[in-house]
Parts: sequence; C-alpha cells; structure tokens
Amino acid sequence: MGSSNKKKREKKKDFNKAKLKVGKAKAKAANFTDTSFKSKSIVVNQHTLAALDGVDLVGLFKQHLNQAINSKSDKLRQEALVQLTKDLSSKPIFNPVGVPNLLTKLLPLITDSVANVRTNFLKLLRALPPSDVAPHVEKILMYIRGGMTHLSTDIRSDTLSVLEWLIEVCPDETVSCPGGWLKTLNSFSSMLGWNPSVASTLSVKGWTSATKTSLNKVSKKNGEAQAKQITILAKFLEAGFRPETPLPYDEQRYWDSIYRMPTVPNPFAYLNLWGAQRDEDGEMYPDRISRQQVFDRKWRAAIKTGVMGAKQEGGVIGRAASVLDKVLRNAAGEGVKTVVEEKMEEVEEVEEVEEVEA
Amino acid sequence: MPKRKVAALEKVDADLVSLQYKIRRDPKSYAQEFYDQWLAYDAQRQIFISSPSSASSEDNKKFHDLVDLIAHCADLYPDVTAPYFDQLKELLTQHHAVLNPDLREKVVGSLSLLRRKDVIDSTSLLTTLFPILISTPSKSLRSLLYTKIISDLRESNSKATNHKLNRTIQTVLHNLVTSDRTSTKGMWACRITRELWRRQIWTDARPCDVMKEACLSDNEKVVIGGVRFFLGGDKEREEMEDDSSDEEIDIKKVKHQGTINKKTKKRQKAMEKAMEKIKKQERKKHAPHPLNFSALHLIHDPQGFAEQLFQKHLQNTKCKFSLDNKLLVLQLVTRLVGLHKLTIISLYPWFTKYLTPKQPSVTSFLASLAQATHNHVPPDAIEPLVVKIANEFVSEASAAEVASAGINAIREVALRQPLCMSETLLQDLVMYQKSKDKGVVMAAKGLQSLYREVYPELLQKKFRGKEATMGLKSGEVKRLKFGEEQVESGIEGIELLEKYKEEQRLKKLAEKGEDADGDAKMGDDEDEDGFNSDEWEVASNDSDSSTGWINVEHSDDEDEGPAAKKQRRDSSTAPDLISDEAMAAAAEANRISKLAMTTILTPADLAKLAELRREAQLDKMTGNVSKRRQELIAKHIEDGVTADDIELPAQIGKKTTKEERVAMAKDGKPAREEHKSTQAIRKSKKEAEGKSSTNKEKARKKNFLMTVGKARAKHKRSLVDTKKRLTAHIARSKSGGRRRNGMN
Repeated sequence: MGSSNKKKREKKKDFNKAKLKVGKAKAKAANFTDTSFKSKSIVVNQHTLAALDGVDLVGLFKQHLNQAINSKSDKLRQEALVQLTKDLSSKPIFNPVGVPNLLTKLLPLITDSVANVRTNFLKLLRALPPSDVAPHVEKILMYIRGGMTHLSTDIRSDTLSVLEWLIEVCPDETVSCPGGWLKTLNSFSSMLGWNPSVASTLSVKGWTSATKTSLNKVSKKNGEAQAKQITILAKFLEAGFRPETPLPYDEQRYWDSIYRMPTVPNPFAYLNLWGAQRDEDGEMYPDRISRQQVFDRKWRAAIKTGVMGAKQEGGVIGRAASVLDKVLRNAAGEGVKTVVEEKMEEVEEVEEVEEVEA
Repeated sequence: MPKRKVAALEKVDADLVSLQYKIRRDPKSYAQEFYDQWLAYDAQRQIFISSPSSASSEDNKKFHDLVDLIAHCADLYPDVTAPYFDQLKELLTQHHAVLNPDLREKVVGSLSLLRRKDVIDSTSLLTTLFPILISTPSKSLRSLLYTKIISDLRESNSKATNHKLNRTIQTVLHNLVTSDRTSTKGMWACRITRELWRRQIWTDARPCDVMKEACLSDNEKVVIGGVRFFLGGDKEREEMEDDSSDEEIDIKKVKHQGTINKKTKKRQKAMEKAMEKIKKQERKKHAPHPLNFSALHLIHDPQGFAEQLFQKHLQNTKCKFSLDNKLLVLQLVTRLVGLHKLTIISLYPWFTKYLTPKQPSVTSFLASLAQATHNHVPPDAIEPLVVKIANEFVSEASAAEVASAGINAIREVALRQPLCMSETLLQDLVMYQKSKDKGVVMAAKGLQSLYREVYPELLQKKFRGKEATMGLKSGEVKRLKFGEEQVESGIEGIELLEKYKEEQRLKKLAEKGEDADGDAKMGDDEDEDGFNSDEWEVASNDSDSSTGWINVEHSDDEDEGPAAKKQRRDSSTAPDLISDEAMAAAAEANRISKLAMTTILTPADLAKLAELRREAQLDKMTGNVSKRRQELIAKHIEDGVTADDIELPAQIGKKTTKEERVAMAKDGKPAREEHKSTQAIRKSKKEAEGKSSTNKEKARKKNFLMTVGKARAKHKRSLVDTKKRLTAHIARSKSGGRRRNGMN
C-alpha cells in the first residue's frame, strides 16, 4: 500500500509546477549538463580526421612525416616512422619529398628520447638508397656528433649505431667530408674519456686524475657500451686508413672531368669557396695520407694509451681494444711501406693482366 | 612548430640543469662532462649555421639549452670556452634577423652573463650589442638590447667612473649621429645619452657634444630628441634625484616590530636591509651635493651652435618641420641666446612674421622673443618688434586676453632690455591701467612698476611714484646706457654672509657657555679675528672658548649690533649724520675685505650667500610682497620664459567655475569618500596602519560582566584594606608605575 502511494506521489511530482522561491536557485533541469569544469588538456581518441581512402598517397606520406616529428605520443611517432620505412622500401621507391627534405626533417630524431623511435629511425635510414645518402653525409655527421656526446648513454650508443650504418653505406665520404675526420675523432675520444685536452685544461696538480666520473662508471652495461664504442672507433679508423685503389686510366672520364658538367652536388667542396673559414678540426682530409698525418700528430698517442688501458681491463672491452690495436698497427705499418707495397701490387696486377691476355 | 612535452622519466636522464649545478659545485671532477657538452654545443651550432633560417624547433630548443649551460660554466673552463664569445657574437651579428626569438634572447642574455662573470670586458660586449640595436627590425630585441646596454654602462660606472669605456661609447654615439645625418639611427644615440644623463652617469661635456650634433641632424626626430634633451634633460635629472630619496623607512616602526614579532631569519634579514638603507640615505644626505653643470652650460661654442641651429631649422625655408617642433627648436635657440648673451641679429627680424594674434601658439613665440632678449641686444633690433606687438595686440578693440598677453610680453622684453621703448609708446601702454579688464590692468601696472625701477625718466611724472621721483632727485636711480654694466666690487652680498656667520658663532658660544659655566678663560680675542675658523675646527676650540663672562660680552655685542644698524638706517634718511655713516661704511669695507681675504668660501658658503641675497632683496621691498612677486624674484634667470608666463595676467580677471573652486578647496586635503566623523576617519586610518587601540579604549570596550565582579568586591573592602591599596598605588607611581613581582 505504502509503496504504491509513494509511487503515485512520485508520478504526480513530474506534473507539479515547480515553485520558485526568492533567494533560492532555480532547480536544475533533468537533462542538465554541467559545463563549468576546466581542464588543462583534452584527450583526443583519434589523431587524424582525414579520410584514409588511399587516394592521396603523397598527402599521406607527408602526414606521416609530420607525425614522425611533431606528434607528442611516442607510439604515433614510431608508427609513422614504420609507415615511412614501408614506403621507402617498396619496390619502386615511393618518396614524394625527396631524400634531402626527408633527412632535414627527420635527423633531429637521432636524439629522440624514446628508444623505440630511435631504433625505428635507424631502420628508416637503412631503407634509404646509399647513393642518395652520400651528398648529405656532412649534415648527418653533425647530428651524429651532437648525439655522441649527449647526456644520456642510451642515446649515445644508438647514435653510434647510426654512425656504424653511415660507415657501411658511404665510408669514403664519412671520413673525408669537412669536419668528418678530426671532429668525429674528438667526439670519440671525449666519449671514451681518452681525451688529453681535457686533462690539460684541468691543470691537475695532485697525484690522482679522475677522468672517469659518475656518468662513465664501468658497470656491466656500460662495459658493453664501451666495447661497442671501441669497435665502432676501430671501424671508423679502418675506413679512414683504407688504402685507396687508384682508378684505372679512362680517357673518356678524364675529358669529362674537364669539360662536362659535374654530376656531384658540390664538386669543389675542398676549395671551400662559399662557406665560413674552417679551422684545423673542421677541415677536409680527403686522402688517406693527410688523414694519417693529422691522426699521428694529434691522436695516435692519446688513443694508444687508451687502448693499452682498455686491453688490460680484459673481457669484452679488451677484445674490442685488441681489434682496434690491430687496426692501428696495420695503419702504422702501411704508413711506412705504402709506396713499396703499392708498387709491388701494381707489378702483380700487370703480370696478371698479361697472363690473362696471353 | 609546437614544442613536444617532455615526460618526467625522460628528464631524469638528460637534465642539463642538474648537470650545470654539479659542474658549478665541482668543476674539476665534471670537466669531462662539460667537454662532452661543449662538443654537443659545437655540433648543434654547426647544424644551426648550416641552415639558420630553417632550423627545426627541436634543434632550437637543444641549442638554447646548451648555450645556456656553456654560458653559466664558461668562467670555470676558460681554455675550452675561449672561442665561445666570438661564436656567439658571430651568431648574433649574422643571424639576428632569422634567429628564433627565444634563442636570440638567450644569446643576448648569455653575452651579458659572460660580462657579469668578467669573461669579457664591457667594451667588447657593447660593441657587439650596439650595431645590432641600430640595425635590427625587431622591436622586442631592440628593447632587450637597450636595457642590456644601459644596465651594463651603469654597472661598469657604479664603483668608479670608467672614463675609458665612456669615451669609447661616446665616440661611437658621436659617429653614429654624424655619419649619416638623414637617418633615424641617431635616435638611439639620443635615447642612450639622455638616459645616462638622467642617471648622472655621464655629466661632462662629451654627451652634450653628441646631443649638439643630434640637434644639427637633418632628421626631424633626431633633431627633436636632441632639442628636448637640452630643454628638459637637467630638470629630469633633478627629478630623478628627488625620486630616489623619496622612499622613507620608519625606523621606529621597524625596531618596534623587531621587539614584538617572532624572530625569524627572514625578519632579521629584512631588518638588516632596512638599517642598511637608512644608513645609505644618511650618508647620501650628508654627502656634498654633486656640482653638476647644466647641459646648456657645457656646450662648446654656443654662438656657432645657436647660429647653425637657427639657420638650418628656422631661417631655412626648405625646412618642413611641424610648428610644434619648430617652436621647440626656437625655444632652444632663444634660451641659448639669453643664457650666453649671444648676438644673432637676424633672429629678431625673423620674429616679425609671427607676431600677430592669429598665429597659432603665439604666446610661445612671445615667450621666445623675451627669452632671446638681453642687455647686449641693440635696442634698434628689438624696438620694431615691440612696436609691432603693441600695434597688433594692444588696442581698445582687441580682446582683453590678447591685450594683456601683449603688454606682458612687452614687459618681459623690457625687463631684459629697458632701452627698447620709446616714450610715447610707454605712456600709451601705461594708460591701459585704466582698462576695465583686471588682467590688462595688472599687466600695465607691471610694466609701470618695472620702469619706475629701471628708467623712470621715460614715465610721465604722475606715474613715477614717490620712490622713483626721490631717487631721481638724489641721483640714486640711474639708467644704464647701452652696453654699460653694473659692476659689483668684490663679492655681492658678502656682508650679509659675514653677519650671518657672526650670529651663528654667537649662538654657538652661548650654548657652550650655558653648558659649562664656571670655567673662566680668556681667548675670545683670538676667536674674533679668525671667527670663521671655529666653524671648521669646533673640536680644537672647545677647551678655551667656554666661559661665563664671554656670555656677558656677547650679550653686549648683540645689543650693540642692532643699535648700530638703527643708527645707520637713521643716517640714510637724515643727511646731517653723513660723517658717521661714512665712517661706518669705511669700517664695513675693511671688514669685508678681511673676510674675503682670510677665508676660503666653501660651496656651502656660496649657497648660503645666494639665499641671503634673495632674502635681503625680498626685505628691501617694504610692505606685503605679493606671492607672484616673490616667485619672480626667486626665479632664476636661467629658467627661461614660458608661454604660461605670458598668458598669466589674462587669467587674473577670470571668474572660476564651481568645479574649479571645489577642486581648489579639496587640493591638499585627505580624501573622504563618505560622510564620517573626523574621529571615525582617524580611527580607521589607525587601524589601516596596523596600530592597536589605547588602554583607555580597551577599558571602555571591556565586557560589563567581566568588570562587575571586581566592582562589587571593591565596595565590600574594609577601610584598612582600602588604605593599603591607596598607599601601594602611591608607592607604585613613585617607582615607575609598574607592579613588580611580589608587590601589590
């Protein structure tokens, strides 16, 4: 009984006219939505509203490119990079913006704070055709140097992977572009703590010299990282000291180099006609002999002592150091007997050719 | 491009701020880390320079942080960071137009940080910033650079004047103004010079020279900048000085708060700061006033400057300055002419065109004309102008305001060169005191009283007045011929100073005598000879000049003083006492020469002398001297004439509206928003100041029920008890009125 009365009252209530009282707020309507809240950020569930019909492939590519740089979510950046990689590795290569633009936009990602983005970026770089990368080596190296001395060790080691890729793809350009040789070596030595210039600036009077501080402590992880650093340094030096094979004489190429338009972007880079004046570190060292000379003068002693120390540590680092030591010794040996060897090789080649002809 | 948000976890790994903190704490151990960052900075810089205009926001941010880190640690590793300054300089000078605003600001900030850490000197900083200041199109950058430049100049002149730096910068500014006279770049020279002048950092002739060149520029803005400096720069400087000493700290309040409030470090620091400030203010108060010359006096070759200014901007018909600006230039030219007594004859005919009532802001022209007049101007040059003013402005038909302005202008001109007037004209003008308008009457009377003093012969006999007639008869009032100067023998008013000093000395002696009576010593003869010495050597004179009977002596002296004066005054009116007067005058002359010869007058003495002279002049005018008159006398001739001076008499006859009267009545009184009793206002004011109520007030407000018990108990006391209380009360009031422990 009671309950039915109650229900009746409640039903009636809907049709009663609400009384307005002086000094009291009007009752809110049943379908009232409170909009008085404030928020600092809004979560958007989908990031793009563009129709994905697959018609505008160019637009899509550009959208991915923008997402890869600007997006706040690392997942999105990563996915965008994956998409871009897919496009670049498709069989006619799909790249509507061109490699230079792509690189200018994406290179800051070398020091991205998220590891996955960095690895995906490296994958994207690997998808690029080596011949297109060659003209931009100088620029890539700038970013690499910036990353090599980054505060975070993870970024440092990932940057080294990029350098490794670059050495694989275009070794000659890497070591011979302006600043590519000495400045990169600077970064390496700073990274490994084998830097004589830092010790001299400190002018330490005491009997201890603590070059390895908090960030470079030898733990297991750091040990592996250091081994990687030494390995890549060895690769870098190997690329720098690789004996150049002289090109066989070709009459057509000779005349082309004199009268034809050059095919490379900046053929007279070594003259440095337009850029700012370069200092010793930023100079180009285009051939092996000059590289070796400047290396002997500035870095051999420092790196040798470093290698000795690393060898004594043994383990992974020691093994890497012995590889580096080998490279150094080879280079030194070649430096002495280059002329003789080359002559011997030439003689052998000539003999071979003659044999074939015969 | 928007900046990406950095999550908390990312920060931990690569936090440049904490690295900076660590480096600064222990530079030796973190040398390797710093070197890493230096290389990173270098790489980032290369990236930026390879494409300055299209740098991504990410790169900018990174570069910004690295520049900041290096700047803060640059002083710790001077060898590594040796090229840092040059790199920043190059970056800013070559790319300031395309640099991201944040980054640009950081680079400028880093440069001034390097200066503060003494890595670079002021000259290299200023020579870097200055060219950018005048070439950049960005307003925010300009204002940033301007403040940096000013603050650096202030900083480097704070301990001692850095003459070398000042000279370098002044030369740069001078070259800036003179190299391209048509460009507006000179504005920056004007602004910087004016600011430093205002702050009394530059006070010598060189900045004036820069401004002089600015005045002679071809660009209107630059010219006006320079002219305004000369017309208003000194006043601005004085105002700035006044402002700085305005902030008063109530030391009593601070001390009181110190005793009451809880003692915290913060409060103690605030207290120390306040004390320091007060000490500083005291020191400033007692410091000798810096004798800064006004910019107008420091100009080299004022004649040439005034002539050039006049020819270039006023006489030249091709000059298209606006009227306001022309008036400013005219003000400066005439001010120079009046102040330095220059002769520019072509200036006076030039005025003719502008002296009509219909000319806009004609009062300014009239004021300028008065300013340009001095006693070396030939009367022939001014007379036509005076006649023209009289014809154009002063007639029965013209409006009262116009007429009064005209007469007043003529009076101002005649004040400086009385010979510019012909007899008939003067008589005509003086007759205007019969006018109906009060302003015109006042102006005409002013003219009449002026001529009574300087040239009474020109007035009709009935207008000469008693004093002038008598003066004419006795030959006391003499008109000066053209070119004749009133020559003062010796220092004008030195006798006033002497008298003042004597009075001061006697007063001091009297005080001393009262302090230590009983000690009888003779030694005042000595004192009287070199009386000035005791002003300077008070301590040494202490022992021998404090006696009882000196007191007596000096009282005699004082009696004698006024008597002698009275005598002298009498003698001047009665001619039969001439011999007495002559003797007194001779004695006076003797004494004066002694004062001037025996003592060196200090700047304070000279200031006092000027004050005394002014007072004496006021005294000379018998009867009640009008406020306006006092102002006129107090007004220094260097202040120049303004349009307001000319317009003033026209205001006299005007009736004020009710609003004006109310405003005048309210002026200087505290604001009251609502109708309240005075006590209520006072009370609310007290409350606002944070002061508490009095004991009486507290007693009055106390809850009745709390007091009723005690009142009842008092009724029930026995007589003995009452007596005890009363005696205790008396004893207490004798020992300071306080209850002690264990006492009632």
